[in-house]
Amino acid sequence: MAGQSDPHISLLSAQEVEFMAEDELIEIVPNMRMDSLNFICGDFGPFLPQIATEVPLWLAVALKKRGKCAIRPPQWMSVENLTRILEGERDSQGAFQALPFHYVEISTLLFDHARDDIPDMYMVRSLVEDIRDVRVHKVETSLEKFSGTSAVKIPNLSAMEVNIIRPFVGRALQAFYKHDNPEKIPDVDRASSGQTRVPNNEPREDMSEGGKIVPWMIIYSKNIQLDQASKVIFFALQRPLRR
Amino acid sequence: MANYYNIDDILTEEEVEQGAKVELPLWLAQELCLRQAVSISVPACFNQKTRLEIQADAACVDLRSRSPYFYEFGCKIAPLVGDKTVEVLLLSAFKIRYKEILTKAYTAAHTATSKFLTLLTKEETNLYEAAQSSMAAFKKWRKGGPRLQRASVLGRKRKPIE
Repeated sequence: MAGQSDPHISLLSAQEVEFMAEDELIEIVPNMRMDSLNFICGDFGPFLPQIATEVPLWLAVALKKRGKCAIRPPQWMSVENLTRILEGERDSQGAFQALPFHYVEISTLLFDHARDDIPDMYMVRSLVEDIRDVRVHKVETSLEKFSGTSAVKIPNLSAMEVNIIRPFVGRALQAFYKHDNPEKIPDVDRASSGQTRVPNNEPREDMSEGGKIVPWMIIYSKNIQLDQASKVIFFALQRPLRR
Repeated sequence: MANYYNIDDILTEEEVEQGAKVELPLWLAQELCLRQAVSISVPACFNQKTRLEIQADAACVDLRSRSPYFYEFGCKIAPLVGDKTVEVLLLSAFKIRYKEILTKAYTAAHTATSKFLTLLTKEETNLYEAAQSSMAAFKKWRKGGPRLQRASVLGRKRKPIE
């Protein structure tokens, strides 16, 4: 699958981060009449022509694609505000300006789907891209200051920025930890597989009805993790028939 | 008394002279050291020449040719030889090389770093690749493309039932 995360490289793929950002609320101006929608995440609407209302971003994009609404770009996406933020980012070396946690994803989605609703679209887009580049560069320079396992604090980092550096920082901190405390080297493989295998081990004995493949065993293990599930299925197929 | 798995038994059959210097795999040396059958000297990849090179410029030292598992090996050998300086050496080397990997991984073009990559140990290569691949994944997402993929089973012609 295109958007699926690779457990060995990163916890989440960029597509998955975008998926989570789609839950952020955004204001739309509908041009149709519709009753309110009741979702698990809340009730939205009712939708009346020219009356603004707040909906999740995914719903806004879906309605926009069908020509049922206009999206109101959020306050922070104005040219003045973005220019101020860009200047602030360039002036301060260490600190990051406050921006929405999902600013990269929200702006990308709006640029892709609601370009006619954003005033000065090209200006806004280039400002957002400049801010993003400056910030990513700043993250890299602040990572250079790592020299041990002291706690790392970078406030105001956004979801996508964290996601880009997560695999690298995770490994690097682990290595620093190892060299700082050679006595207590964490045996990552053993620790993690041990922890996750224990809950799997217990039901196995109960479920093995003479070596048959019991369907609910596979369903049960799917709840844990995908790669764990495949392990258990493999185990089930391997088990010899005793009867 | 004679046991197939008894390491001392095997070694007596090998008849190693007392005081002789032999190269052994780490796992074997470790076991023998625990039984106080041998004493371990600092391996060649942590010799004086390497230390001087690391002090001069850690980022340019070819650690892979010394040992692809330079750090792990160092961590394991240090308590056996009782040499505290090995740990200090590893930490200082990693601190400097970490910065080099960071700048190379995020900023430099892939072709420019191929020579640098040959100097890295296994652990450092993993670090470099983690940074590279996450950045590449982000750029790919930014470029956009179809969000949904067509399943391979779709679009096949159904066979008539008869």
